[in-house]
Amino acid sequence: MLTYIVRRLLIIVPMAIGISFLVYLALDLSPGDAVSRMLSPERTVDPAKLAELRKALGLDAPLLVRFWIWFSGVLQGNFGRTLTGGVPISRILMERLPATLELSVIALVLSSIFGAILGTISALRRRGTTTDNVLTVAGMIGVSIPEFFFGLVAIVVFALNLQWLPVGGRLLPSYTSYWDHIPNLVMPALVLSIMMTAGVMRYARSAMLDALSREFIKTARSKGLPEWRVNLLHGFRVALTPVIVLIGFRLPILIGGSVIVEQVFQWPGLGSLFVMAVRNKDLPVVMTIALLTVILVLVVSLIVDILTAIIDPRVRLGN
Amino acid sequence: MNRFLATAAVALLLQTSALGVAHAQALNGNPLSDVRVRQALAYAIDRQLIVDAVFGGYAIAADGLLPNGPFKSPNLNAYPYDPEKAKALLAEAGWDSSRQLEMVFYYDDQITADLMAVLQAQLAEVGVDMTYHLIVGDVAKTLNSIPEDPKGKSVVTWDLAYGARAAMAMQEYFNDYVTGKASADGFPGASELDELIAASNSSTDPDANKATLMKIDEYLNTNVLTIPLYYQQLYSVESKRLNRNGEPHGNDQFNYDWNIQNWTVEPDANGKAVMYTNAAPIDYFEQPWVNLGLWAGNKLIWAHMLSAKPFLDGVAGGDLAESYVMSDDGKTLTMTLRDGIKWHDGDPITVDDVTFSLEFALKTPNLHGVVASTLNSIEGAAEYVAGTAEHVAGISADGNTITIKFAKVNANVLLSFTQWGPFPKKYFEGVDPTLVQQAEFWQKPIGSGPFMVEEAKFGDFSSFVPFADYYEGKPKIDQVIAWASADGDVNMVKNAAANRIDFAITKVVSDIEAIKALDFMQLTPLDIPYTRMMWINQYDK
Repeated sequence: MLTYIVRRLLIIVPMAIGISFLVYLALDLSPGDAVSRMLSPERTVDPAKLAELRKALGLDAPLLVRFWIWFSGVLQGNFGRTLTGGVPISRILMERLPATLELSVIALVLSSIFGAILGTISALRRRGTTTDNVLTVAGMIGVSIPEFFFGLVAIVVFALNLQWLPVGGRLLPSYTSYWDHIPNLVMPALVLSIMMTAGVMRYARSAMLDALSREFIKTARSKGLPEWRVNLLHGFRVALTPVIVLIGFRLPILIGGSVIVEQVFQWPGLGSLFVMAVRNKDLPVVMTIALLTVILVLVVSLIVDILTAIIDPRVRLGN
Repeated sequence: MNRFLATAAVALLLQTSALGVAHAQALNGNPLSDVRVRQALAYAIDRQLIVDAVFGGYAIAADGLLPNGPFKSPNLNAYPYDPEKAKALLAEAGWDSSRQLEMVFYYDDQITADLMAVLQAQLAEVGVDMTYHLIVGDVAKTLNSIPEDPKGKSVVTWDLAYGARAAMAMQEYFNDYVTGKASADGFPGASELDELIAASNSSTDPDANKATLMKIDEYLNTNVLTIPLYYQQLYSVESKRLNRNGEPHGNDQFNYDWNIQNWTVEPDANGKAVMYTNAAPIDYFEQPWVNLGLWAGNKLIWAHMLSAKPFLDGVAGGDLAESYVMSDDGKTLTMTLRDGIKWHDGDPITVDDVTFSLEFALKTPNLHGVVASTLNSIEGAAEYVAGTAEHVAGISADGNTITIKFAKVNANVLLSFTQWGPFPKKYFEGVDPTLVQQAEFWQKPIGSGPFMVEEAKFGDFSSFVPFADYYEGKPKIDQVIAWASADGDVNMVKNAAANRIDFAITKVVSDIEAIKALDFMQLTPLDIPYTRMMWINQYDK
């Protein structure tokens, strides 16, 4: 297994470079550049001055040169500066990453725990029972309702009507300690968690039903093992494998993907930054977030493989 | 004498009988170069229906590019909705109904999508097939590219484009129609229009330009060079906690003499008067010479050389400049700085800051068009920008007085200086003007206006506190907290409902409707020069 892990870790480097280059290439091929996005369409600007700005920002250099300048900077720990405002990207990451991580990690943990438990309960109660029906309908509603709608309803109920929680934002001038903003975190984290729980629950239910229909479950039962042992140690353990894959790959997506929840709750995370950077064609910002996501996906992929091998004895790494 | 001659020349020009004649035939291979086709499109569009159905009545049907008010010509054809007349004109022009018109637009909001659907249906009713799509990527290039030769083939594919003009100066509506100017108007140019446009820019006296501006609007109207659709109103959104204490409302898209230092807001439980607003920066403060009236991050922090009347219809007086004198020939402006004015860091604002900033501004890439036009009219500006002169010859200083000499008359000199103010020189020495926006300064700018930046939590909020040394007196509001938001704040209504907005501005119909339902908020409609229109590409195809 160790050889496998080392080999996979070594593969991450060229894969990250390759994927980064492809992302850079794709972005570069889209029309316009950061300078053209800085301009209002309703205003014409002296083309000579725009050419000077492009030159000053290094946008006039060939694609490979620009990519190398960015990538060599990253190798030295320098992510560069935003093209639009000249802000060091490392500073933006320091400001935004904590906001994203606290939202993502809470949502991931809560949705994984509750999703796996509820999905398993739903499967064990068998089709047609009230519990299964209620959980199935709840799951369908959870995956069907758009996040923005769910978020807005939560704001109307808990912030505007009941006034239990703040309407949005993460920080206020009056906050002096880290814990002050926890009330701000509750709604976005719960909305994101509930939406994600529904997905995990549906997946866990299917995986559990599939596992329970396998021959080894019948064998376990025929050995006279207690039902809870059959279900949890044999069924749930195997059912967990696809659920882990789902959960594992949600973290990297969450890093740049909780855009809607961030928007609705005015949460200053990486998702909204990423969308804005794409719109502004601010390549250093887009590339930095993309690189982080790529590395995270590759690392998570490795972790998922290892966990799968540990949980499911049928899986052998490296073979 | 010069003003008299200019007025006489304009009067003669306006009497020219050839003005306004529309040629009833296609001028090139593009059927849209036939005025009858353009008139048909104008008659085919029911502007009032659009205003009522798409904009909920929060707009005004337009008949000219210039807004209603003192500059409105009484001689405009409103092209009232008349599909039968449109069909007749199209038949007369030999319109090929198999031809499809391509409409482009650059607003990615639902209301624009709705508008496009309505326009498509209305044009279809008279037999014009129109498709539409959002422009992505290099929007300015797609809209504004024109052939080198005005008689050459169009270099863009679109036939119609939907856009807007939020004008600071009335000339902004028309200057783009000059022959050879790369812009979205899609008009190859005409010498008679060029002369009118030049005349409209020939005096610093707005009244002297008024008749010419009206004549240009009439020319565009007769020839249907562009189809004005509607005038949009701006709404001031205010909580009832806020009291402007009689200070005026105005065009909040720009800077005017609004005296925010006299505003008050009911204190909170701790006795602190905090005003909540929006439009704080997301990653950095924008430098204030581009989006001149950008709320929060710009208007609160910066003072200007002069001060405009609320709707920019003249100069209210000095701002950083205590007094100013414009010479009779409109070519020399003298401004004398106030004594004792200071930057937010306590250092004095000096003539040196002003002269440095004027030269610095000339080399920045992205100045507001009207300000850029003014500064580039200064004597020696071209040589300075080209690098052949060390300083701008037309700028000089003596004591507290700055004298600016212009190589040619610029119609909006005074208006420009109501929107432009200096930067503190010491923070910009050694900064490449091309990369002005990328300077570290914009993380926490040191300004000259009534409020100073206390804290900027980018993406969350910015906090502003009163500047005790503001020359008009320390503002009465203890703190302004502005929530970070992009243009068109999608969270404004939600924040207002949670008592987190005391002041904001909006043009969004759904926001206006929602704010109306909040009894602790109030709306004030503001008639600003903001015309939405449909440009027509008449270049050969």
